[in-house]
Amino acid sequence: MRSVLIKADDVLRRRRTTPTDGRAIWSLIGLIAIYGILYGAAMGSFGGLRGSGALQIVYSAIKVPFLLQATFALSLPSFYVVNSLMGLRRDFSEAVRALMATQAGLSVILASLAPLTLFWYASMDCYSDAVLFNAMMFTIASISAQWILRDYYQPLIRRNPRHRWMLRTWLIVYAFVGIQMGWILRPFIGDPSSPVQFFREDSWGNAYMVVGRMLWRAIN
Amino acid sequence: MQRLFGWFVELDRILKGEATRIADLRNASIQLPVRGVSFVLILLGMLYGVCMGCYALINQGNNMQMLASAVKVPALFFLTLVVTLPSLYVFNALVGSRLTVGSLVRLFVATLGVNLAVLSSLGPIVAFFSVNTTTYSFMVLLNVIVFAIAGVLGLSFLLQTLQRLHIARYGHPPQFPTTHAPRAIESLDAGEEIIQAESIETPAELGPLEAIEGRALGRRIKAVFTIWMLVFGLVGAQMSWILRPFVGAPDSPFQWFRPRGSNFFEAVVHVLRSVFSL
Repeated sequence: MRSVLIKADDVLRRRRTTPTDGRAIWSLIGLIAIYGILYGAAMGSFGGLRGSGALQIVYSAIKVPFLLQATFALSLPSFYVVNSLMGLRRDFSEAVRALMATQAGLSVILASLAPLTLFWYASMDCYSDAVLFNAMMFTIASISAQWILRDYYQPLIRRNPRHRWMLRTWLIVYAFVGIQMGWILRPFIGDPSSPVQFFREDSWGNAYMVVGRMLWRAIN
Repeated sequence: MQRLFGWFVELDRILKGEATRIADLRNASIQLPVRGVSFVLILLGMLYGVCMGCYALINQGNNMQMLASAVKVPALFFLTLVVTLPSLYVFNALVGSRLTVGSLVRLFVATLGVNLAVLSSLGPIVAFFSVNTTTYSFMVLLNVIVFAIAGVLGLSFLLQTLQRLHIARYGHPPQFPTTHAPRAIESLDAGEEIIQAESIETPAELGPLEAIEGRALGRRIKAVFTIWMLVFGLVGAQMSWILRPFVGAPDSPFQWFRPRGSNFFEAVVHVLRSVFSL
């Protein structure tokens, strides 16, 4: 328990005391899982604790860390190949650690915002407001995590300026996959008017096509 | 199994740029086991084909399309090369380049290595979108973009390597430290030890796409290759049209090939329209 808190603090303060071998990656994955579960549980508690509401808490607690890890796993192979092509292979493990640490930081920040989310749920019962509030929390966490990312990536960029481009490419691919991943993993919050389920039947679809259609309708 | 792993290590050397270091190009050719790497390339192409075929599997319950795409993706690259290489070789020789058939083949295997490695590394993303997207035109567009990314990276590798081969032949002193001596292909089976040894040996890492200062490539040779790259792109795109369907439209039944007609570029414009007009 203590070490989980200390590790989180290390990530937030960008300390490099963590071991630099493979174990560092595993401890970061552990951090993402633990803190992601915390926020996910808070996120899913909109429907209350009783009855099927508890089930939504469990589902969301699984989904939040899964969202981060699965997006990461899908984007990693191309990151590896393109890094190699740019001659940055030697820094690859450090780059992966930096990206992992950023995700761990993101989950720690999210977890720290969880009480606010709970507080919001306790005071408002409008579903669409809850969705908006969670979107805001995710935005805040993603923007704040950029600090961590910048600090971890700074030495890499100093060594080779091409890392800056690689980082931008990574963020684009990660966002592209992550948005779709978030879309198909719905519901995270759980609309009280529909039954609790792990996947929503109508959630199978393409987020970009849905947004495109909405925009098209707005223009016409 | 051990040999397969060795071939993947070879491909990895190409990606890292180790296979195309000036010091290793001294005898004006890339050193790589052509058959082994080609085998790996076929595997990677099939892998991407499977990722592509996921769309038809999910939306039509059609696993034949997956099999067809797995065969067609490697075939697409192979056939495009068959169509375009002879003319390249002839014009290349005509303008006075000294590349032999053997070194040209190795150059192209390496180029396809880059191309297919990028392609298959984007495969998981394509498979992920295939599984949960129902819009056919989105999938076609995504695949076209992925192929384009892989193609651009592959062809810039080709141009850089050509430049390096030229520098290696006309003896320009490398301006970066390479302490690595050329070594025999046979020693590659012990892949892992070599990687470890190398990471200590070489102080400067140079990516395969990085430009090296040196004697510029002859203008005519460069022109031939530039034109060829254009032709390769066009033939490749149209070849993909001839070999279609790759993705498999959900409203038409499975077939190995569709009747002749239209062309790739017309089709892309059509798909773009249908994505944006929705």
